[in-house]
Amino acid sequence: MATTTATLTLTSTDLLTDSLSLSATATLFKAGTTTGLDSIQYERLEVPTGDVYDMIDATAGGANKANKIYIANKGTDATKYVDIYIAALLIGRLYAGDWAFFPLEAAAATQDVGVEAIGAAQVVEFALIHEGKTLVAS
Amino acid sequence: MATTTAQITLTSTDIADNALSISNTMTLTTAGTETGLTETTGLARKTIASASLTDLITLNSFQDITALKSAKVYIKNTGTATDKYALIGIGDSGGTPIYVGRLYGGDWLLLPWLALPTDGDGFAASVADGGTYGHANNQDITITMSDSTATVIEYMVFFE
Repeated sequence: MATTTATLTLTSTDLLTDSLSLSATATLFKAGTTTGLDSIQYERLEVPTGDVYDMIDATAGGANKANKIYIANKGTDATKYVDIYIAALLIGRLYAGDWAFFPLEAAAATQDVGVEAIGAAQVVEFALIHEGKTLVAS
Repeated sequence: MATTTAQITLTSTDIADNALSISNTMTLTTAGTETGLTETTGLARKTIASASLTDLITLNSFQDITALKSAKVYIKNTGTATDKYALIGIGDSGGTPIYVGRLYGGDWLLLPWLALPTDGDGFAASVADGGTYGHANNQDITITMSDSTATVIEYMVFFE
């Protein structure tokens, strides 16, 4: 098994009257176990404008498990963003420099993760740390 | 404006032959600008002792201030049981939300939240659309625990 950790540090000295300093660390385990996730897909790609493109195909091999996904918009123009979709539902925008980290249920083949670049083509990095996927025969 | 930063560090020495080390810091800004987000719910905790689908964060409180903007949501399952999870969804807890994924004990997420209300025609409520920002539950953040064991869920919303 592998040991992979994801640590979040959220800080601000002026959002609230008192400083915000929040830290959370998760060890990424397979569903329902203390065995580490041991598969990864890590990519960097340019997302064109004009359509929603599948970044991650949900497959039966990863359905209902403890997959985790990290997505980062590597752009630098604060006015541009990429829309993030799950199962064709627009869940939010990643502006230039933003990142997201969340679990991926992928409960059905239709629960793909899609991206659409708004304003201009943008470079996105993503890492899917997972416990299985169904490979497509060539 | 405020300056709030979120840093992720994703590391592993053995998930591949070469070590994985991802580190990224973002500043939480308002949509399309470099101005920091200035509003937050603060860190909240909710104890959930039911396996029924329910709302964790309702759009009703945010629909005018997060729709089509750059809100961010942090959620953590503070439990320690790695065989129990909180299934996070986006949608109507009275219907079938889109499921994002499972937070097992100790897991956390940080994701953008569009919090886009739709009106009766199912499309985004907007002046052009002729709609209103009537609460239609369609992008609430829902939660379903794997069982009824009382579990504390932490969450925080950053919005504009």
